[in-house]
Amino acid sequence: MIRLVRAEWLKLRTTAVPWVLAIIAVVLDALFILTVFLTKPNVGGVRDTSAGYIVPHTVTQLRDLVGAGFETYLLAMLLGALCITTEFRHKTVTTSFLVVPRRATFVTVKLVTAAVAGIGLAVGVLVATVIGGGAALAARGGSFTAMLHQVPAVAPGMLLVFALFAILGVGVGSLLTNQVAAITALLGWFVVAQNILIGLVHGALKWVPSGAAEAAANLSVRNGGGGGIVGFELFTWWQGALLLLGYGVAFAAVGWAVMTRRDIT
Amino acid sequence: MPAIEVNGLTKRFGPVVAVDDLSFAVPAGRVTGFLGPNGAGKTTTLRMLLGLVHATSGSATFDGTPYQDLPDPLRRVGAVLEATSFHPGRRAIHHLRMVAMGAGLPLGRAEEVLDLVGLGDVARRRVGGFSLGMRQRLELATALLGDPQVLILDEPANGLDPQGILWLRTFLRHQAASGRAVLVSSHLLSEMEETVDEVVILAAGRLVMQTTLAGLAARAGRHGGMRVRSPEADRLVDVLAGAGAMARRVDAEHVVVDGATPEWLGPILAHHQIVCYGLAEERGSLEDVFLSLTSGDGGGPGSIGHPG
Repeated sequence: MIRLVRAEWLKLRTTAVPWVLAIIAVVLDALFILTVFLTKPNVGGVRDTSAGYIVPHTVTQLRDLVGAGFETYLLAMLLGALCITTEFRHKTVTTSFLVVPRRATFVTVKLVTAAVAGIGLAVGVLVATVIGGGAALAARGGSFTAMLHQVPAVAPGMLLVFALFAILGVGVGSLLTNQVAAITALLGWFVVAQNILIGLVHGALKWVPSGAAEAAANLSVRNGGGGGIVGFELFTWWQGALLLLGYGVAFAAVGWAVMTRRDIT
Repeated sequence: MPAIEVNGLTKRFGPVVAVDDLSFAVPAGRVTGFLGPNGAGKTTTLRMLLGLVHATSGSATFDGTPYQDLPDPLRRVGAVLEATSFHPGRRAIHHLRMVAMGAGLPLGRAEEVLDLVGLGDVARRRVGGFSLGMRQRLELATALLGDPQVLILDEPANGLDPQGILWLRTFLRHQAASGRAVLVSSHLLSEMEETVDEVVILAAGRLVMQTTLAGLAARAGRHGGMRVRSPEADRLVDVLAGAGAMARRVDAEHVVVDGATPEWLGPILAHHQIVCYGLAEERGSLEDVFLSLTSGDGGGPGSIGHPG
């Protein structure tokens, strides 16, 4: 299995996909860092919308800063989906199935590799945030050390969520092997459909993947501070993590069953 | 035990029967041609052999083991398939290393097989810039990574230039001579005539025949007739009819004698003192037999009458 995962990683890193996604993640991260410096704290439930920047110094603000790149977990998900749909798009799946004739093993290797790559992406984003965000903080007279102290509180949740979203991506990719279909379905859900659902159904947020991600990362100090996204209830971190894992495994199980029966012509 | 054994293999795609109760065996140490017109079911059969397409019924095994159950498939079977592709952004050497690593083969094999197929100079180029012929060679290099005892090739000559085809022919002969089993498909017998020892002929998903190349040649009636050029064509036809041969005028000077050999015809011409400007064997081509076999009527030049 380790041998196959290493081969899978070689397969992944010899294409442009992971590097392009990593660059996009870092660019987005820089923008998210900027928004942390521009987001004023709520005072008495009213958001301060005046111009100008703040210098993060409270625990909440510093955690917001360290976890600024959190939402790039969607890129970990795309990485997971791409690592399986690319094989079908370029028909390299024929060679892959000759090397690994057992389809179940093939899907499992993808799940493990994508999870590891997702963790790698999370580490990359965290490092970029600490360097970029830390430099900005120090330049504005904030305390870099105080920021570093918040890393252990933020990092584990981020690694977990990135890994789980990469697994979700592989699951969806193994079901929808057409690359355009898979990417469209994923982005369509996360950009549009999920928000409609949350708006229509009371309490839906805690059940959708993004809500589960917020819970699993245990970053509920974000988004204005104090017990979750304002006005919405979330699961505890381990419930959220289990729910996310459940989504990933459910898609992977269906994809796995379909994959096993698929004729590669 | 044959290297590859196919038993009652059947594949249905919905209402279409692509392969119908197909059985044949591929021996080691020989090149076996897998022949049939386009759409005969060759590719589907080869993909069923390799576990890529699921058989509706029947079995295909390598020394008794299905491909999916081989512990080290790439060390046993190398495959060059049509419509396989490469990631265009990946370098040739990385493609091979990735396969070698997955199959548990030494990474150094990647350079070795690239040199073997003559792609050593372009090892670090991205596959997206490769010509069809170079891709075919890279496919072959991939198949050779595990130094397998069985080679399966689906229309490998496609995209190769004449030198490439000659190279491939020599290469496959060499592989068989060293004891490997080689199964190579083609829709053109003429392309394979110089390469194969045995033929498995397929039409409309069914086995037409499995025979040696010599067996096919015999069926073609390689000594099936003589063509004579003579100014006395009319008299020649009469003489031959009297000798019991099927002779016919083709034009003013040419007569074709079905089933005759030079040893039989020469003395008759001498005995009757018939002036002869030319004497040539009529060679029924293997391609003609192949075409008649796969077109479904089962007849052909092999069934012509012989002189008594």
